[in-house]
Amino acid sequence: MMSKEQKERYRRQIAVFGEEGQEKIGNTRLLIAGAGGLGSTAALFAAMAGFGTIRIIDPDYIEETNLNRQLLYRESDIGKPKGGTAAKALHALNSSIDVEPVFAAIGTAPVQDLIRDMDVVIDGLDNYLARFLLADAAWQCGKPFIHGAVEGFYGQVCTIIPPTFPCLRCVVPNPPPVRETPIIGVTTGVIGCVQVTEAIKLATGTGLPISDHLWLWDGIRQKSDRLMIERIPTCHVCGKD
Amino acid sequence: MKVHVKAFATFREVMDNQIDMDFPKGASIRELLDELTGRYGGLGNLIFAAPDTLRDFVNILKNGRNVYFLAGLDTPLDDEDVIALFPPVAGG
Repeated sequence: MMSKEQKERYRRQIAVFGEEGQEKIGNTRLLIAGAGGLGSTAALFAAMAGFGTIRIIDPDYIEETNLNRQLLYRESDIGKPKGGTAAKALHALNSSIDVEPVFAAIGTAPVQDLIRDMDVVIDGLDNYLARFLLADAAWQCGKPFIHGAVEGFYGQVCTIIPPTFPCLRCVVPNPPPVRETPIIGVTTGVIGCVQVTEAIKLATGTGLPISDHLWLWDGIRQKSDRLMIERIPTCHVCGKD
Repeated sequence: MKVHVKAFATFREVMDNQIDMDFPKGASIRELLDELTGRYGGLGNLIFAAPDTLRDFVNILKNGRNVYFLAGLDTPLDDEDVIALFPPVAGG
């Protein structure tokens, strides 16, 4: 049951999906992998929405070059670990939720152990080596994985729901090489918000997820497109052949 | 036959977002890319690592199916196909 304070805090969004929907959000455990541009945007909006538990994983320390897009951090945070700093900022925003920072890189800790007790995974990573490790583990654990990625004015989102829809390896069979990607904060803002929108939809059972297609954002033309995706029959993660 | 070509993300910086093209029966993805690289000057270097070899990150989808898992550049075109040229983005 929600407290009187919680009912007041979430009054404007209870008007959208009811007290039952708000309670479902409060009971949802969200894993956010990466506390960079996408991860910090997703974490901020997830905390505001009232997701009851947010586990945020990142192995890095805050640098000056992060401040064009990673909106949980201030100049005075430079040199501090991202996960712990993000957790403090989120808890200051919403003290009624649990925030668990994990100072680790995906791949250095058993990935399924990070996922198993969570309900939804949000991808805030910056390379496909880590993304595939996390997405494969989420698939094996049967957890929805909300993929997001950006470059410049462009971004993409897809919600991977096992076992019905294609996995991330089918969505992106040929990923780009690892490099320092050009990024602007408005694009991580748009894509991070779309990812949390997906998480809210999943938690409350509202609408349909972005699952049989990749949602593509073009900030130059202010246009979005859908790219239909089919499962690769020989896929070693989700293929049936 | 008519083929609808759509370009996404950074490919849009060198070619139109969406064009319709006509090909004779029997044409393949190879002919489509030849036609496109002839039409758009910057596209060839962007998508080919060497003649006949696409760069690793270039995803070409025929009606949602990646041609890498069909017949690659030899994948035949059919009337009213939707061909998507898609470079996935990676940053976070």
